[in-house]
Amino acid sequence: MHRHLLRRRALIASAGLAAAAPALAACGPDIASEDDAGPSSRLQAPDRTEGEITIWDRSGDLFEIFEGAIAEFNAAYPGIKVNHVAVDIDAKLQNTLITGADVPDGVFLDDAKVGGFTDYLWDLGDVLAPYTADIAQQKLDVNTVNGGVYGVPFDLDPGLLFYNATALEAAGIDIAAVATYDDLLQAARDYRAAVPGSAPIHLEQSAFLGQLQLEMYASQLGTSIADADGNLRLDTPEFERVLTFLDTVRQEGLGTRAEYLTPTDIAELDNGNQVFYPWAIWFSFAPQQVLTATSGDWRATQLPAWDAGGARSGAMGGSSFVLPKDGPNADLAWLFYEFLMFTEAGYTAVWGPGEVYPEGLATSIPSYTPAADPAKPLYSGITALGGQDLWTVATEAGAQIPGGTPTPAWWAGAVDYLGNNLQRMLDGDMTPQEVLAQSTEDIQVNLVDRQ
Amino acid sequence: MAATTERTRPRIGSHLFLTLLLVAFLFPVAWALLSAFKPADAIIRSPLTFDPTTFTLDNYTAMFQDVPIGQGFLNTAVVLLCKGAATMFFAPLAAFAFAKYQWAGKNLVFGAVLITLMLPTIVLIIPLLLEMKALGWVNTYQALILPGAVDAFAIFWMRQVITAVPDELLDAARVDGCGEFALFWRVVVPVIRPGLAGLGVLTVMNIYNDFVWPVVAASSERMATLQVVLSTLAQNITGNRIGADYATVTGELLAASSVALVPLLVLFILLQRHFINGILAGSVKG
Amino acid sequence: MTALPVPAARRAPRAGRGPRLRRRLAPYVFVLPFAAVFAAFSVYPLFFTARLSFTDWRGTGAATWVGWDNYAYLLTNPAFWSSLGNSAVLWLLIVPVQMAVGVLVAVLLNDAKLRLRGLYRVAFIVPFVTPLVAVAQIWVVLFDQRYGAVNAFLGLFGLPETGWLTTSAWAKPTLALLFLWKTTGFIVIILLSGLQSINASIYEAADLDGASKARRLWSITVPLLRRTLGFAVVLQTLAVFQMFAEPFVVTQGGPYNSTTTAGYYLYNHITRADLGTGAANSFLLVVLVMALSLLFVRLLRAKD
Repeated sequence: MHRHLLRRRALIASAGLAAAAPALAACGPDIASEDDAGPSSRLQAPDRTEGEITIWDRSGDLFEIFEGAIAEFNAAYPGIKVNHVAVDIDAKLQNTLITGADVPDGVFLDDAKVGGFTDYLWDLGDVLAPYTADIAQQKLDVNTVNGGVYGVPFDLDPGLLFYNATALEAAGIDIAAVATYDDLLQAARDYRAAVPGSAPIHLEQSAFLGQLQLEMYASQLGTSIADADGNLRLDTPEFERVLTFLDTVRQEGLGTRAEYLTPTDIAELDNGNQVFYPWAIWFSFAPQQVLTATSGDWRATQLPAWDAGGARSGAMGGSSFVLPKDGPNADLAWLFYEFLMFTEAGYTAVWGPGEVYPEGLATSIPSYTPAADPAKPLYSGITALGGQDLWTVATEAGAQIPGGTPTPAWWAGAVDYLGNNLQRMLDGDMTPQEVLAQSTEDIQVNLVDRQ
Repeated sequence: MAATTERTRPRIGSHLFLTLLLVAFLFPVAWALLSAFKPADAIIRSPLTFDPTTFTLDNYTAMFQDVPIGQGFLNTAVVLLCKGAATMFFAPLAAFAFAKYQWAGKNLVFGAVLITLMLPTIVLIIPLLLEMKALGWVNTYQALILPGAVDAFAIFWMRQVITAVPDELLDAARVDGCGEFALFWRVVVPVIRPGLAGLGVLTVMNIYNDFVWPVVAASSERMATLQVVLSTLAQNITGNRIGADYATVTGELLAASSVALVPLLVLFILLQRHFINGILAGSVKG
Repeated sequence: MTALPVPAARRAPRAGRGPRLRRRLAPYVFVLPFAAVFAAFSVYPLFFTARLSFTDWRGTGAATWVGWDNYAYLLTNPAFWSSLGNSAVLWLLIVPVQMAVGVLVAVLLNDAKLRLRGLYRVAFIVPFVTPLVAVAQIWVVLFDQRYGAVNAFLGLFGLPETGWLTTSAWAKPTLALLFLWKTTGFIVIILLSGLQSINASIYEAADLDGASKARRLWSITVPLLRRTLGFAVVLQTLAVFQMFAEPFVVTQGGPYNSTTTAGYYLYNHITRADLGTGAANSFLLVVLVMALSLLFVRLLRAKD
């Protein structure tokens, strides 16, 4: 009986088949010969206001907010029908762009990921021109690749120092005295002395968010992983300084190591062990929606500076809207985003009080400066922050974020190296110098050189 | 049957060992089914307890509201019917040719079948996707159904089963004037029925549980299969930095997982004898 | 059935040449539907991938021919080798354990006089039929460091909290456990089928010799099960080296890439739109899996 599992001849035949494949292949991608200097990839504003656009947003609170803003948009543009869908963008966008089928006209995308898709996107330099002078420089930087602007900047996410005011007060710590990161270390030591067993400062355990937070710290010093030409600038005194701070927190046992708002993190926030959270403004989601015992105890203030008098904020995360070239009505989608971001009716609908957030979208501020006016708040007192006027804190912090911090196309890929090595340092397995040297080498070989 | 010649003894050791394994094998499923009826934060805070007084359908109502699971079921059903039917008919037919005929190129084609068995699914995804684009099939049922219909494993498995059918049986039928297709349909199919039942359950399971290709091929929500819906929900736990509450999403996810799990579980318990006998028929012996 | 000793071809055909011709053509017709689907959706993409592996292509525009560059990059890249290493470690954690437990359980279940036999059989196969995406999520929740049921249970015995999915030491075993849990039932059934083809008289002879149970298992059952075991080992080797969905849903390859399996590493190139490298990686993986399969087949043959 021939019951052999894998018959050798068949295997050899198939091996031969595999070997012959390259020679046989008439199938495969077109190999470059003609230059692809196709039609201009700079989007122009449409001269029509009728049509249908498909807009992708990720599910969750923001989807609901944009959904609510569509009615406002239609009041201004009754001829444009918005087909708004909630999509797992990370999983779907790339494949959709490659196939060019059912491509949406506008997509909500993490700033860190815009650079990776520029081949497929409209350069928005021309349509954005009237507004660029009024857009936060940091947001223009992250959307600019080789001179083209590939995203309509959405939110500005200034880093803030969130702290548990009730707990700090009980421990006799004056937050106003925390002006530099050295002060923060001292405050943490004092807190731990008052509350034995506590580990006051959050140390992020997710490789991705850890790298994002690292960029926030570096952004305060006016630097980032790579410069505008894509050259690495990681092995520098600025990054070493940030890492040394984090390493000190670890060595002295001043940090709570947890992934952002996972159950462990939440428990440590709610029991008063973790009282300092240097994070983007979107942490305000936690006291508003997640924390139970300490909701209302939290406040936000500007980040400490690295040197007295230095910038008191840096950018962390944020998103923009991109317009794929294959979207049939991307030009009309531009009108949608132009309305939402750059008209008062639009940005009020997004950030102002609404059904989803009765007190306003207090997890970010607009990146369009006329909308982020400290004098004209879109939201103000936040109950979960004890009624604090977060708008003022955030807009003042946002104005301090230094520019000159572009995001390279391979930023997300760097998490495998820099993000992971940062975690190894927090495990106590690498020194700051080793993290920088090793990550620089790995990123150069695996990402920069392979672009 | 090759029962051992062991005389009846209590076999306490065996039962202890098997019962321990049984508990370990059933626990995760039972835990998920039960926990879906707990308040979302209780799932997180006290995973081991179940307080009947806090029994709630909140996770289910929230899930049905937030998640397009009905559409997912519908799409899965369509794919299951078409792809399953194709596999159940064409795979044994082709396997018959591999098992009982000599023909030019047989070894080459069978070698290619084996190679695809060794190929991780994701290898072919990009070229397949471009092919779908060229055919204009992105976000269509064809795209979900045709690639992988009549898959290599089914051919391999059925060839195994059909090889065991005695040649004499076929020859005798031929003498009786049986045509070649009738040979397959009237002689082979009835004989391999247990193997077919096994293939049937395996096929239903594979199609129902498949998610790597559907995630890619169906970028539009209206084409999302059940597993795609589930994995999208799962992404919300890890992917969404803002706007997702861990406990709520976990509760919804357990509810959705339960809903996805139960149909197959019921099907399997109803058909378990056929399924197990089918695998027994198809695997390599001795 | 009455088996005729005459070879089929020499038997007098009833209707001249027709049946013989039909018999010669039949296999082609039978294979055709499968072959068409197979050629269109397996062979063609395979050739495409082969060609792609020699190019630098980002999914849009024209590709650049780069010769063996992608292969050279991968073969000199520690990350590629560590992805293979991760798969190898998972293999070691999974396959020997699964085969040992599988044989033991199959032997116990093969005893017709065992009570509750049907119940056990069903219970062991339940994990196999549950959707992976659902199960993987359940795993994440169960093995959560602080709130997972597993740590809560171990805590009852005073055992410390373990970061099952957050430490590189434990992530692989936890993933291996998921895989074991999910597929061992299937392996048990396969082994059962092997056992059922073993002739009972062999055991009777051993009984007369007074061989102990353990000895009987080791020196009679296992050797006789060799081919079935080989089948199971090859099947699981393929599955372990292709493993993608488990790390994708449970660990996303982390922590520290400790669960970046060979299959998952491949996916990383695709997410970075580095499709040429992804294709080259595919072929390296196929060659490896093929070599392993050949190796196992050879090992089992040698003892025949």
